[in-house]
Amino acid sequence: MSKFTPDDLVTLLLAISTMLILSRVASEIGKKIGLPMVMGELLVGVALGPTLLGNLLPGVYATLFPFAGNANFAVSLEAIFSLSVILLLFVAGLELRFSLFLENGLMAMTTGIGSMVLPFASGFALAWFLPEWFAIEAGGAKHLLFSLFLGVAMSISALPVIARILLDMQLLKTDIGAIIIASAVFNDIVGWIFFSFILSLVGEVNGRPGVARSVASIAAFAICMLAFSRVLLSRILPWVQTRLSWPGGVLSLSLGFCLLSAAFTEHIHIHAILGAFIAGLAIGDSVHLREEAREIMHQFVTNFFAPLFFVSIGLKVDFVEHFDPLLVGLILVLAFAGKVLGAGAGARLGGMPTRRALAVGFGLNARGAMEIILGSLAFEAGLINHQVFVALIVMALVTSITSAPFIRFFLGK
Amino acid sequence: MDYSHLRGRRPFPFTTIAVAVAFSPRLEALLAEAARLAGIFGAGLLPIHVGRRTGGKQELLDEICGRQHLTLPRIIWREGDEVDCLLRACKENAVDLLVLGALRRESVLRYYLGSVARGMSRRAKCSLLLLTEPVASGTAFRRIVVNCVDHAKTRFTLDTVRYFATGTGCTDIRIARELDQTGLAMSMSDDSTTAETARVRQQLLQGEEEKLRGADCLMQVDGAAVERVVLSGRPGFAIRRYAEDCRADLLAINSPDGLLGLIDRLFTHDMEHILEHLPCNVLIVHSRPSGGA
Repeated sequence: MSKFTPDDLVTLLLAISTMLILSRVASEIGKKIGLPMVMGELLVGVALGPTLLGNLLPGVYATLFPFAGNANFAVSLEAIFSLSVILLLFVAGLELRFSLFLENGLMAMTTGIGSMVLPFASGFALAWFLPEWFAIEAGGAKHLLFSLFLGVAMSISALPVIARILLDMQLLKTDIGAIIIASAVFNDIVGWIFFSFILSLVGEVNGRPGVARSVASIAAFAICMLAFSRVLLSRILPWVQTRLSWPGGVLSLSLGFCLLSAAFTEHIHIHAILGAFIAGLAIGDSVHLREEAREIMHQFVTNFFAPLFFVSIGLKVDFVEHFDPLLVGLILVLAFAGKVLGAGAGARLGGMPTRRALAVGFGLNARGAMEIILGSLAFEAGLINHQVFVALIVMALVTSITSAPFIRFFLGK
Repeated sequence: MDYSHLRGRRPFPFTTIAVAVAFSPRLEALLAEAARLAGIFGAGLLPIHVGRRTGGKQELLDEICGRQHLTLPRIIWREGDEVDCLLRACKENAVDLLVLGALRRESVLRYYLGSVARGMSRRAKCSLLLLTEPVASGTAFRRIVVNCVDHAKTRFTLDTVRYFATGTGCTDIRIARELDQTGLAMSMSDDSTTAETARVRQQLLQGEEEKLRGADCLMQVDGAAVERVVLSGRPGFAIRRYAEDCRADLLAINSPDGLLGLIDRLFTHDMEHILEHLPCNVLIVHSRPSGGA
C-alpha cells in the first residue's frame, strides 16, 4: 500500500461527509412517516452504492467511493466500519442487564427461553436439512456453521427497536413491557455470545483454534469480565465520574476499555465484537454509571458510527441483483413463525393470556439494527452469501415495521 | 407438620415476635429491642437459638434478662443449619416478626456465601426486622422509607408499615417508587429532539407520581408527615441510596417472590442491592394473603 496522500484524505472525508449528511436527511424524512432510522441509512447506502449510483452514474460512484481504484481509501473506510461495528456492539451491551431477566421471574424465564429455543431450532433445522435452499453444500465445511448461524439469526432480538416501540406505545413501564424487555435481554446476551463462538469457529475453518479452545476462551473471558471487572468498575466509576473531567473522563475511559477488550478477544482469535459487547455489559451493569454518561455514549455512537456502518452495507451489496423473493419469503416466514410462536408459547406457559402472549411474541419479533449487524458480520466472515444477507436485511426491516401494529392489534389498543 | 394455619395470615398484628439469639456482643441490645417491640405491639416474645444448649449460654441469658428486667417464658433451642432451623421454628410457632442483628456490610466472600441474616432475608416465610445497630435503650424509628413497587404485596407492606409506624411513634414516612430508565437512552438517542426526550421523561415521571398518589391514600399515620418520592435509578439500588442519604431509621420492603440464589448475588438486582449494603434497619414484610406461603 502506498503512502496516504492528502488527496486520499480529501476523498475519504468527502465520502464520510456524504454518508453522514444524506443518511441524516433520509432518516429525518423517514421519521416523519414513521419509518425506523436505520431504514433511511440503508436506503442511502443503496442509493450511493452499486445498486443505484454504481449502475446509473458509474463515474461519480468510482470518484466518490473508489474502493477498487484506491487501496488507501478502501482500507481506511474499512477500518472505520470495523470500529463502528465494535462500538455498536459496545453500546448494545451497555443496555443489556442480565439482572433485568432475573428481576421478572418465571414468566420472563419461560418467554426468554421460548423466544430463543423455537427460533433457533427452526432456523437450524431448516438450514441443516435443506442447505441447498441457501446455496450451502450439504456436509461441507460450512454446513454446520451456517445452520448454527441461521438458528442464532432467527433467535436474536433488537433491544433498541423494541424499547422504542414500547416507549411510543406507552408500554415500556407496564408488566407486558417488562416481560418483552427482559426476554429481549436474554435473547441478545445469549445470541451474541453464541454468535461470537460461531465466528471463532469460522476462524477455525481457516486454520484457527478448535471448538474446545473457543468455548474455553469465551467462557473464561466472559466470567473474568463480568465477575471481576464488576468489582473493579464499582470502585473506579464513581471516582472517574466525580474526580475527572465530565463527561470526557468517563467517555474516554469507557471507550478505551471497550477497545482494549475488543483487541484482546481479537488477539485470542475470538471476534473483537465479543470483547466490545462484554465490555458494554460490564460497564452498563454497574449501578454507578450515571444515566447522562450512558446517554452521551449512545449519542456519540448512534449519531456518527451507526450511520456510517448502515450506509456501508448498501455500498457493499447490490440489493436488486441479489434480491431473491423466494429466499426472502422463506426467511420472513421462518422469522415470524419461530419468534412469535416460541415467545408466545413461552409467555403462555408462564401464565399470560393468549392474546397478550401473542403481543409479546410480536414485540420480540422486531430484529432491527441488531440483525443487520449480525448479517453483516456473517457476510464479512464468508458465512453467508449475498442473497441470504439481503434476505436478512429485509427480514430485519419488515419485522421492525410490523411489530407495533401487531402488538396494537393483539392488545386491542 | 401442618402449616395450614399460616395460610392467608395477615402480616400484622404481631402476636409473636421472635428474636434470633446468636450470643454475639450485641445480644443484650438485640433482646432489649425485641422485648421493647413485643411490649409496644402486645406480642409474645420468643427467643430462638440455633446451637448447643449449654449451662454457660443459659447463665448469660439469665444474666441479661435480669439486667433488662425481662421474663422469657420460653426459649427455643435448636441444633443444625442455622437458617433451616430458624425457618422451621418460625413456621412452627407462627412467628409474625423475626428480629435479627445484621452487619451493614459483609465481606465479599461472606456476602456471596450468605450469612444467617442475609439467608433468612432471602428465604423467610415471616416478616423480618434486620437491626444494624441495636441499642439496649431501643431504636427510634422516626423516619421510615417504604419501597412502593408495582406488586400485590405492596398493599400489605404499606398496611404493615402504617401499623408499625403507629406503634413506634414514627414522625416521617417517605413512600418511594423507583423509575428504572433502562432502554431509554438507547431508544431515544438517534431520532429524538430535546423536547421529545424531555416530554417522554416527564410522562414517565408523571406515571410514577400517579401511582404513588394511590399508595398515599393507604398511608395515614397520626402525627406523621407522609411524603412521596420518585427515585430515578436501578431498582433496589436507588432506594438504598435514598435511605442512606435521607438518614432513614427504617427501610421497609416487600419480601422476595422466589428464593434468591447465588446467581442473583452475581447479577445483583432488587433486594440484593439492599442486602449487599444495608443502608439502615430493614423491615422485610412477608405477605401471606398475597400468595406468600
